[in-house]
Formats: sequence, C-alpha cells, structure tokens
Amino acid sequence: MGYVAIKGGGKAIAGAEALLDYLRTEQGEAGLPLDTHTIETQLRYLHSRVMSEGGLYHPTLAALAIKQSLGDTLEAAFALRAFRSTQPRLLESPLLDTRNLRVVRRISSAFKDIPGGQMLGATTDYALRLLKMQLLDESPEQFRAIAKAWLADTPQTDIPDTFPKVLDALRAEGLLPEPQPAAGTPFDITREPLVFPVPRSAALATLARGETGSLLAIAYSNMRGYGDVHPTVAELRVGYLPVLLPHPISGELIEAGEVLITECEVVAMYGKAEKGQKPTFTLGYGACFGHNEVKAISMAILDRALQNGQANGKPQNPSEDPEFVLLHVDGIDSMGFCTHYKMPHYVTFQSDMDRLRTTQQQQQEGKA
Amino acid sequence: MDKHHYEGRSVCLPALASLPAAEVIALAQRLAQGWQRRYLALPEQGLGMLQLQESTLHQAFYLGEFPVARAWVELTLPDGIQAQGAAHVMQDNAELAEALAICDAILSAQLPGAEAVAKAVAQGQAVRAQVQANRKVMLAKTHVNFSLLETTGGNDD
Repeated sequence: MGYVAIKGGGKAIAGAEALLDYLRTEQGEAGLPLDTHTIETQLRYLHSRVMSEGGLYHPTLAALAIKQSLGDTLEAAFALRAFRSTQPRLLESPLLDTRNLRVVRRISSAFKDIPGGQMLGATTDYALRLLKMQLLDESPEQFRAIAKAWLADTPQTDIPDTFPKVLDALRAEGLLPEPQPAAGTPFDITREPLVFPVPRSAALATLARGETGSLLAIAYSNMRGYGDVHPTVAELRVGYLPVLLPHPISGELIEAGEVLITECEVVAMYGKAEKGQKPTFTLGYGACFGHNEVKAISMAILDRALQNGQANGKPQNPSEDPEFVLLHVDGIDSMGFCTHYKMPHYVTFQSDMDRLRTTQQQQQEGKA
Repeated sequence: MDKHHYEGRSVCLPALASLPAAEVIALAQRLAQGWQRRYLALPEQGLGMLQLQESTLHQAFYLGEFPVARAWVELTLPDGIQAQGAAHVMQDNAELAEALAICDAILSAQLPGAEAVAKAVAQGQAVRAQVQANRKVMLAKTHVNFSLLETTGGNDD
C-alpha cells in the first residue's frame, strides 16, 4: 500500500456547509429565525460567554456568531475572533477603573454587611434547580406579562450610581498589601506570543478571554487540593463599565459607551511577611466581559495561584504553573488542536501502519 | 438657544449616542446641509483595546477589544463662521461618529440648529436615565440583609 495524498471533495464540503444551514432552518414554515436581540437577551449567559471568549465586546456580532454556529460556543468565539482580526486597531482606552461600575449585582462572602449593601441582582444562587415545565408552552402573552409585572412594581430608590470597594476597608485596616502598579504598558496577547516568563498583565489578559470550562477545571484542581489558595470572595460585582475616551479637541474624558463585565476579588491566606513588614492577606483578581461569575471566580483563584507559584520560585502544582495554565485555557487554541485530528491524516497513519507491520515481521522472523 | 443650556460634551455626546443612530445621522445631515465640511481626521471605524486597572494591586491589563468609530470635522457656515467638533462612539458606525462630531460642533459653538440638537440631547438623557433607573430597581428589589441565625425571627426578607 503506497502513501496517498488527497484532493477533491469540494462538492461534498460545500454540501456539508449547506447542510448545517439546512439544519438551522429545518423547522421550515413552523419556525421563525432567531433575531440577534433575542439571542442577546434570552440566551444572555451563552452570549456573555462568547463575548468574553471571543475577546471582543460586540453584543450584536456575538449574537450573530451564536446563531450561525448553532449555539456552539467555541465555534462562535472563533468566528468573533476571526472578525476582530480583520479590523484595524484605532485606539487604546485610558486605564479604566471599575470603581465607576454601574452595578447590577454585588455580593460579598467575606462580610454580612458591606458599605452600600449587598444586592443579589439576577442570580440562580438560591434557586431550586427544578425544571419550570410551564415554559414548555409559554405563550407570547405570558412572556410579555412577566416583564410587565416586574416593571409595574418599581420602588423609589435612593441607590447611588457607584459603590465603594470592600477591599478598601480591609486595606485601610492594614490587612492587605499596598497597591503595586506595574511600570510600562500591559502585555498585549493579541500582538505578542507568550514567551515565558510573562508579566502578570499577560496572564490576566489570557485568563480574561480563556474558555470558561478550562479555567474552571484548573481552578477546581486547586480548590480540591492540588493547591492551597482557599479563597474568600471579598466582592463579586456585575455591572456596566463606562468606556471613557479622550475627546480629540479638548482631551476631556467622554463616555463612548459601556461594557457589561463581571469582576471578582478574592482574599487568600496570608503568607510570610518580608523582614520589617506586617503579614497581610494575599489577593487574586478576575474579570471578564459579560455576566459570567464562574469564570471571574475561577480566574481570581488562578491569578492567586500563579502569583503563589511565582513567589515560591517553583510551581508546587499545575495551577501555579504559568505555562501549564496559560497555554491550555484558550478555547480557540485547544479546540483547533482537538478538531484538527478529524482532518485527513492518511499519510502519517500509513507510516504508522508500515512501521507496525515491519516490527511485527521482524518479531516473527526473530522467533523463527 | 440660550448658551446656559449647553451641558458640556461629557453630558451631550453620551446622550446623543444613546438615541437610534439613524435619528442622529438624519438630524446632523439636515442641520449641516449647505455647510462646508473639512475632515481633520477622516471618519473611521475599527476596534479599541480596553485597558483595565485590576482592583487588587492596581496593575493594568487588557480586558479585550470593543468596536469604536471616530470623527473630527471642521464646519464652515455660509457667513464664514467656523467650528470644530469631534466624537468617539462605541459602535462600528463611522457615519454615526461623523454625525455626533457635527452635533458636537453645533452645540459647542452654538451654531444654528443648537436648539434642535439640545432637544435631542434631552431625549437621550431621558433614555439613559430610564436605563439607569431600571438597573437601580434591580438592586433595590434584591437588596439583602442577611442576619445571623441566632438573631432571626420568622422573617426572611
């Protein structure tokens, strides 16, 4: 049997692509096409995930990507990243501060009472995981009635636009390390490859657009015992961050829009203090586009674990190893490697078969 | 228009950007009809990189990208009066950025049409106020006061 290269298949490949579109529309006259706004609002967690993993806060195109990929998060994030690679980079925002977040959810597991109060916002945290069978036959009227009823009972509020940070109180008490702003511009993972060691800004950027399940899996290994972060969520926030850009004429910072983000700050066990210093808690940080709390918490744990690995000089477990973590959490990279195994490997497999046959033959001859 | 009604760019541009893009574009085209327009920076659309200060150690990193359009125009009226306006907007719509820049010039230099733009600003402010009010209702309705178990009565509010 000789080695074979392949060609052709063009019609079948085009047919396979068309078949995907057929499957999307196979409801025929009984169906209605999904509009992007419906995806954005009714599938908001899926939508959030695609925006953060795609690394692009573009609500409409993220919804489109979900629609065309039939809900495959990895394919949708891939399409979004492919789009971003075709666009010119016009600018970089000034350093934005999440103190300006227009919060829609804010909780702390460190304190019962926090300045400004805890607001649960929209969450399944305390919900029973029972299927709502009534949604199987939800009519448009019932659907609209839910929103109407919720909006009808709107209390007068004196809630402020922004809230103080829980960490500020701990820092004022001397329980946290002082801020350590890094010099220079942050590492841009969209322009530079990760060559280790990399600065913390590279790790944070990589984690921020990492695949949710990958971050969770490695953070979970730390939680279960392959690590010792033992985090407490000082504050978890979901809200809209105003994107401020300098006005070309006056230079004054003007809001150009806002992005929905999830942010998590974890406090971890205190370490040994340097000589002459007080011991303080250690910290981890997570943030991502959209509403994705599992990702933000996992990221904060991994940030802390990676800082531990760096401080110790040698990683003690996989979650402290920057190469292990940062090179395996990207959904597009890992999905690409995984799915490439479906592509024709006829030549390499022929070679494997030839070698096995030769080995078997040699073994047989040796026995004889 | 009374100049006191101009609340500054930090209020007017975000308010206008919250209106439907087609409305703002139509308004700017109508008001600037017959005026000379010179581009000090060509209207363009692309991406911006969001630089965030993480809140534990106050270090900077890039959270990801966002769509952005920008424009910078100089308007010359038939009587020779000149004014400049510019804008950024977080949408991939260069035409909208140009319209916002025109509105910015009209408002900041109090050109003819400033009243119409100020009216649109008020509409935009109402939209923004409604959005923010809805968010506050979400918070108000889910404000929680956890109590320690030994201090609780029968109330779980």
